[in-house]
This record gives sequence, C-alpha cells and structure tokens, in this order.
Amino acid sequence: MGTRFARSWRWVVPALLGLLLAGCATGRLDATKPIGEDAREIDGLMRLSGWMAVGVGIFVAAAVATIIVKFRAKPTDDPDDLPPQIHGNRKAELTWTLIPTAMLVFLTIYTLPTVFALASEGDGRTIKVEGQQWWWQFSYDLDEDGQYDIVTANDLVIPTGEEVNLEIHSNDVIHSFWIPQLNGKKDAVPGRIHDWRISSDEPGIFYGECVEFCGLSHANMQMRTIVLTPEDFDRWVQEQLAGKTAAQVAPADESPEAAGAALFETHCISCHVVDGAYESAAGGNANLLAGIAPNLTNLMSRTAFAGALYETYQTGPDGEYLRNPDGSLKLNIAELREWVRNAPDMKPARADNQQGMLDFSEVLTDQDLDNLMAYLKTLGSPPVLP
Amino acid sequence: MAIITDQPESPDSPEGAGPGTELEVAEPDAHGDDSPRTGVFARPTHATGWREWLFTVDHKKIGIMYGALALFWFLIGGLEIGLVRLQLWAPDGEVISADFYNQLFTMHGVTMVFLVIMPLANAFANYLVPLQIGARDVAFPRMNALGLWIFFFGGIFLNLSWFLGGGADGGWFAYAPNTGMSFSPGHGMDFYALGLQIAGIASLLGAINLLVTIINMRCPGMSLLRMPVFTWMILVVQFLLVFALPVITVALILLTFDRTFDANFFNVDAGADPLLWQHLFWIFGHPEVYILILPAFGVVSETLPVFSRKPLFGYPIVVLSGAAIGFMGWGVWAHHMFTSGMGPVSVAAFSATTMFIAVPTGVKILNWIATMWAGKVRFTVPMMFSVSLVAMFTIGGLSGVMHAIAPADTQQTDTYFIVAHFHYVLVGGALMGMFAGMYYWWPKAFGYHLNDRLGRWHFWLMLLGFNVTFGPMHIVGLQGMARRHSVYGEFDGFEFWNKIATIGYFLMLIAMVILAVNIFRTWGRYRRGLEPGAGADPWDGRTLEWAIPSPVPEHNFDYVPVVSDVDDFWHKKYQPDETGKLRRVAYGNDIAQIGDQHPHLPSPSYWPIVLAAGMPLIGFGLIYNLWIAGIGLLLLVGSMFGWTLEPATDPDAGHGHDGHGDHDDDHGGDPDGHDDHNGVLTASTANGEAAGD
Repeated sequence: MGTRFARSWRWVVPALLGLLLAGCATGRLDATKPIGEDAREIDGLMRLSGWMAVGVGIFVAAAVATIIVKFRAKPTDDPDDLPPQIHGNRKAELTWTLIPTAMLVFLTIYTLPTVFALASEGDGRTIKVEGQQWWWQFSYDLDEDGQYDIVTANDLVIPTGEEVNLEIHSNDVIHSFWIPQLNGKKDAVPGRIHDWRISSDEPGIFYGECVEFCGLSHANMQMRTIVLTPEDFDRWVQEQLAGKTAAQVAPADESPEAAGAALFETHCISCHVVDGAYESAAGGNANLLAGIAPNLTNLMSRTAFAGALYETYQTGPDGEYLRNPDGSLKLNIAELREWVRNAPDMKPARADNQQGMLDFSEVLTDQDLDNLMAYLKTLGSPPVLP
Repeated sequence: MAIITDQPESPDSPEGAGPGTELEVAEPDAHGDDSPRTGVFARPTHATGWREWLFTVDHKKIGIMYGALALFWFLIGGLEIGLVRLQLWAPDGEVISADFYNQLFTMHGVTMVFLVIMPLANAFANYLVPLQIGARDVAFPRMNALGLWIFFFGGIFLNLSWFLGGGADGGWFAYAPNTGMSFSPGHGMDFYALGLQIAGIASLLGAINLLVTIINMRCPGMSLLRMPVFTWMILVVQFLLVFALPVITVALILLTFDRTFDANFFNVDAGADPLLWQHLFWIFGHPEVYILILPAFGVVSETLPVFSRKPLFGYPIVVLSGAAIGFMGWGVWAHHMFTSGMGPVSVAAFSATTMFIAVPTGVKILNWIATMWAGKVRFTVPMMFSVSLVAMFTIGGLSGVMHAIAPADTQQTDTYFIVAHFHYVLVGGALMGMFAGMYYWWPKAFGYHLNDRLGRWHFWLMLLGFNVTFGPMHIVGLQGMARRHSVYGEFDGFEFWNKIATIGYFLMLIAMVILAVNIFRTWGRYRRGLEPGAGADPWDGRTLEWAIPSPVPEHNFDYVPVVSDVDDFWHKKYQPDETGKLRRVAYGNDIAQIGDQHPHLPSPSYWPIVLAAGMPLIGFGLIYNLWIAGIGLLLLVGSMFGWTLEPATDPDAGHGHDGHGDHDDDHGGDPDGHDDHNGVLTASTANGEAAGD
C-alpha cells in the first residue's frame, strides 16, 4: 500500500511540474516580454507597482493568517468573557493612512513623467493606421507629398532603430491598436486621429490584435508588425513600388491568370483595389464601394490575410514558415482558395450589412476559383522576412 | 419616525380634514354602508397567500423578493458565462458562434451588475435599514413596492431579447458607435438601453426612499455617528445612485434616440465624438463600482465586530473613509479611458486621483484587520465569508492600483488582467460580502439558521473555485489575452490557464448548487419542525435588528427603541463591573422585544405592480410599434391616478389606534402633503366596518 502510494506520487510531482511549465510557456502576445523602448519603460513601471502590490498583499495575508491561527476563539473560552475592547487608536490609524499615502505619492511621482514621455513624438517616419471591421490598413507616404505610395493590410512593416509615429484612424467603430511587445494600446476612434509610436532595435515579427470590442469578429482582427533592418526595409519598399506597376500589366489572353483577372473585375473590384489595375472603380460607378476591403496590390508580399487570421504561407507546428525545396515559401493556397469561396465560414461576418466579405460559394465554380488563385498569385513578390 | 410613532395623536384630526373628502372619495359614501368599496377602487386591507407578496408594501417582504430575484438572475448570469468558459476551454473554440459569444458576455456583465449585485444590496438595504435605525418601515412603502416591481419587469424585459432575435451584443459598456443601428442591427441593444432605463427608474426610486428613511426616520438617540456602519454605507450608496443614475439615464436616452429615431448623438459622420458616450457611461460607471462594493463593506463592518467580539476598530474612520470613497469615486471615471486618446494631461490627472482612492480603501482594510486582531474570533460561515472578503478584495484593490499607473494600464486594459481585477473586487469583494450577509441575517429574516455544514462546503468550494477561475486570469492577461475575444489562437499560449479557469468555474457552480440545496433543504426541514428556531439574537449581535424577534414581526418594533451609543443593544447586554471590566449582564434573547403589539401598518396596494407593468409595454412600443407604448403609457398614467386616489385603509381606526396622521406611504402619490386623504381614511374605515357588520 505504502509503496503504491509512493509510486503514484512519483508521477504526480513531475506531472505537476510539467503542468506548471506548460502554464509558463508564453505566446507571441506576451506583454511581460517587452522589446520596444516604450514597452520596456512601461514594463519597468509594471514590475515596480507589481512588486509593491505583492509586498502589501503578503502583509495583509500574513495579518489575516495570524488572526485565523492566533486569535481564534477556543472551545474552552468563557463565553461571557470578552477580549480587550479597543475602540480605536488615533496614532495607529494615522500611521496606516500616511504610509499608503506616501507609497502612492512615490508611485505618482514615478508615473507622471512617463505619461508625458510616452505621449511625445518619435523621431522617425509617420505611417497612417486605419482600423475597420475587422482588419487594419497601413499607408506610407514615402515622399511626403500627401499621396500614399504604399497601402497595405495586416502587416505593418517598419525599420529597426527608428521611432515610427503612427497616426491612428478608424473608419467605422472604435478599435484599439496593440502590439504588446512594442508598446501599450491606443484606441482608433472614428472622427479622431490619435498619435502613437512604436520602435524596435531587433528585427522580428511582433504580433498584435484589436483590443477594443468592435463587434462580431472582434476576436479575428489581428495584425503584425514586421521589423526589418534598414536595408531589408528599403528592399521591401522597392518591391512594393514595383508591385504597383507590375499589376498594370494585363495578363496574357487565354491564360488562367487572364481568366482570373476577368473574374476579379466582375466580382471583386466593387470592394477591393489593385493599384494601377483596378483603383478607379469607385470613380465610375457610385454603387461601387472600392476601398472598403483591403487593397490587394502586393497581396503575395503579406504574411497573412483575412485580418491576419490566416497565414499566406504555410507554417509548421511551431509557427515557423515551411519552404519548398528551392527555398521559396509554400503558399497556403488551400485556405486562400477557401477564403475566396466562402469567407463568412472562415471568419464571422455580417456581409448583408456590409460587415465582412461576401459568400461566393454559390457564385464561383471550382474552375473560377482556380483562375482567381492564378491571378492573385501574380500580385506582388513574396514577403521580406526579418 | 413617522410610521413608528404610536402616540395618541388628536383623534379628531381625520374628522377635521373630513370635509375635504370630495369627488370620487365621496362616491362610496353615497352608497352608504352597503358598499365595501372605498375610493375609486377597493384597496386590499389584508392579503394572504400569493397576494400577500404581490401587493405587499412591507419593506421586509420586498427585501426578500429583491433577494430571491437577484439569486434567480445570478443563476442565469452564471449559466451564461458557463458557455463562455466552455468556448475558451481550447484554442479556436467552436462550442458557440462569435455572435452568441458576444451576446453572452454582454448579458453576463449586464445581468451580474444590474440584476444581481445591485438588487442583492437592495435586498439587504430594504430589509435591514429600517430595523437598524429602529423604524417600522421605509418612508414611502408603496414607492418601495413600485421600485421592486419595476426592477422585476425591467429584468424580464432585458432578458426577453434572448427570445426576440438575440441578446445585446455591444458589451455591457456599449461603446458608441458600435451600438448604433448600422453596426448592431438587431434589437438586442434596444432591449439593453430600455431595460437598463427601466431598472434605473427602480434604483432611483429605491435610493430616494432609503435616503429619506435614513435621514428622517432614525429612532430617538440615533445620531448619524451612532448609526450602524451597514446603514451608513447604504446611505452613501443611495447618494451615489441619486447622482449617478441621471447620467446613465441621459446616455441611454441618447442611445435610444439614435437607434429609434435616427438621431445623431453618436453619428461620427454628422460630427459626433464617440468619446461623449464613454464619458457619460463612466461618470455613471465608476461610482457604480462603489455602488456595488460599499454595501458589502457595510456587511462585513457588521459581522467582523460581532464574531470577533470586539467593537469596530475606529468606527468614525471607517464611516468617514466610506464616505470619502463615495466622494472620490466621482473624480476617477476617466481611468477607464486611458487609451482612448484623451491627451496626457487628462491621463495624468485621472491617474493621480485614481491612486489616491486607494487610501481610504486601504484604511478600511487595515481597520477591519485591527478589529479582528486580539479578538476571540468565531469562524462561523458568515465570518468565513467576511474574512475572505478582506483577503480577496485586497488582491483586487492592489491590482487596481497597478491599473492606476496609466502607462501600465495601456498594457493591461482590455486584457484578462482587468477581468481578474474586477472579479476579485466584485466576486471576492461584493459577492463574498453578500454571502456573508445572507448567512448572517438569514436567521433574522426566516427564524432559522442555514445549515452550517453545507454552508462550510459552499464557502470552501466558492473560495477555491473563485481563485482557480480568476487567479489564472492575471497570468493570461499579462501574457496578452484580450477580453471579449471569442477565440484565441493555438500559438498564444493561453490554453493551459484557460482550462484551469474553466475548471474553477465548475467548482463555483457546484458551490452554488450547494447553496441552493442548503436554502431549499433547510427551509423544508424548518417547515416540518426539524430545524430549531434561531431566537432573536443568535450571534450575540450589536445592532437593533437583533433586539426584535426572528423572524421579524410585520411591525418590526413593539415600541420605539431609544439608543444612547453606537452598538446600543450590545451595551444593554454587557456593562462594566466595579473594576471597569465589561461583564455580561443579560442575554439578547431575554431582553429582546417580544413582538406582541399590533400597531396600524400601511395597507397593501395593487398599484405598484400595475403601474410597473406599464414600463415594459412602453419599452416594447419604442422598439416595435408606438401604439404599444401608448397602451403602456395609459396603464402608467391610469395607475398613477389610481395610486393617488387610493384610499388608505385602517381596520383599527375604530378601536382607538390612530396613527395614520403620518401616512408617509401616501405622500408618494400626494406630493403636496395635503391631508385630505385623511378624509378618505375615515370614509374607508366606516365602510370597512359596515361591511363587517
């Protein structure tokens, strides 16, 4: 009996340890692993206040534990005998008013400069961020002429070592922009422009999501910040600009790409823009709503689609990108095709209310889908990864 | 004081006012002695069975009904979030749809705040405040009943949305413009706006009533600083309600106008700023937090001294810090909006004010600890819940200070770290306090104790389940898990702690089943005579409610108590001997009043429930068809007339008991305070007696 018990315990301890480790394994949104300068600043405040809170908590817990152990009424107590009747003590009460006050004054003095520091402008470029149900758009004005030269979705690409200023807009309801490892949150409020900044000295992909409840698919409104070295960033810019002109080249006749382009013109351009090819759709027809869905120029250069809910390229069990024998990324064609066929099935939407992509499963044949995929593959070059 | 006075008021005064009897009132007189009808409609003089509850104006029955309704909604709100917990069991959960998920968390929040914790506090306040201040009822008994029934219909109305196209889906905070017609086309948000509006009317009525009661009806000798702390906290809460509810009322009207009549209060294209809603909502919403927690603070300020057998440490400081929390609660609302783009100056200001609200809260905690310190602490079930409030609320308070640091809050807000924080405050604080109050005052209200063994099971499972559910949320919150997300990804690392939290939910569910078993089983046993009666003073209490029999007789006090100290009843039991040490001189059960008097009490009334029934009809009308609202309005206005013209009945008037000179009850419908209803009284009694002949 004893041995069986002991044997069972041998399993329990490692099992519990394993569970604990599993619990400590953190994901890609972890706010306690800051990378960006501002995020590190915030993290310092969080740790300071956190440890102070833990200290006070332990003090109170110890007092309560002492009461439970030491001041418990005993069965032998005379029920008519009273403990000392203390009605209060001015000194004690003054002390425990002043000590917390002092601690909070300290925290306030420590906090307020940071509030203002975080609100100051960064030294780098400005990127326009627009939230809408349920995806993020990022626009770059490279030559500062008031025209956006690069308009992309889901992937916010920035260079290392630069404090990038974000101008946060919303096109419908309130959203909140959050890349936990780079900075705190900032709401995107319609009718207002909010300034925020992010920066990172390390290249990498930093994940984020919308964190202000924004309706049906709020959980599926994600984005990522791809931080590249300045050289990689310049390469990315050049490829984006090249993609814009490449799209103007009409695919050859009879090819699947040409058939796909025709289908795109029939079914997609009322909402989607492709710079150079289908950008003026809204101008000619008032019923068309081009621009309410992601600009698909350079679609292939984005790491994710559908509000960064799905990977454009296939990933392995640990989230790493899988590659073809020739080193190129493996396109996630199955999910992309399914998305075009029946999007509401893959991401909750209310398309009848112009919230989210329509269901095309009754409209497009398998052949149509193949052709569309062939066309989409021509849009842009593969992403520049850090 | 009005109702409790039994002094022989000039018996002529009603007759003196008699000639004022007029119009409808005169009509039954014309019928002479044959007609049992009085006034426009008959007023019940003594209802029995279910009518006894439906038409009652007795603050104790109303309090019990508030409690029962709150527990019912607690079950509903709890089951709603159970589905949410199941959905979050694994990444990419597919248990429920995103749409349903959004409705569930919205309705869970709305239900728990407005239909559970607020009415639970109301239950205790209604039942206990008159007892603690030595009064026979609240100032306006019919208005009290009206509040209950409006709350009743408001809760049902709000939840009917489930059967009429789906619940509200905009979050309990309902940020514009997401709650406008273009983004939330279903009727859920209409039911939300109108349902809360209706419930708000109920709270406002209750608040005014309790304010007048506490300020005017304390027994002789009970100065404000001799009032029990529970009554004090209820007083503070009623002030908060009276000032906070108008703000949410305005906000909800704007929302309803936007949705129903295409107004543009929150239409950005027409120049609106959506932050307007946020400011309005949180100017209400933050005092609301103190509306939810202060009653629980009041409860434990009663239980901790009783079970430590010591007076409350620093009574004036505890009262003052409660009032200070009430005041400071008005200056912190925008800490809910640190990321909303208010600008750094506002953020800095609200960050600082928020930090300092921790001071009075901390003082309370430390005073409670000092109260227990060096006591002889009896760990009864109510005491265990009370002590757990002190410990658990502290955790929630400390994480609250962390959010007060605005930059840190930009990482924490809208994550599960916040969810953990406010559940430690509202479950670990408010709900634990309400459970403490339930076990503590149950014998007073019903005459027997809830089962101790089941109570202990309830407590331990609750404490364990609560921590297992909400403790891990601190961790996943810091790891970046956002609130109100119907799914999380497999690479986010949230799965483990979400599984733990879901297990914790089921532990709490079992705890609640045990509570239900305890309530029904003990009740059944008591009815079969298997449970011993509790006696007037089962806990060696300190306040006036223990100086009267359990369960409390309808008239509360045989004679008006006169107090000369804080904890006056306790001082009647313990007095200093020749050495100055306090010795027991009496037992509460022996010196309690015996409840054998039958003073005149306000009669039941049909009108509160009839009037309240008009409210949901107006709500339906605004959503579906204004004609329905017309019917509701007719019912409402008709009931007001019926209410105003309702006779006061007094079966004892002919027997020399004549206390109806101050029927405050009727002032609810007779705001000019004119005494012509005394004429009604006379007529009614005359007829009542005639019918009896």
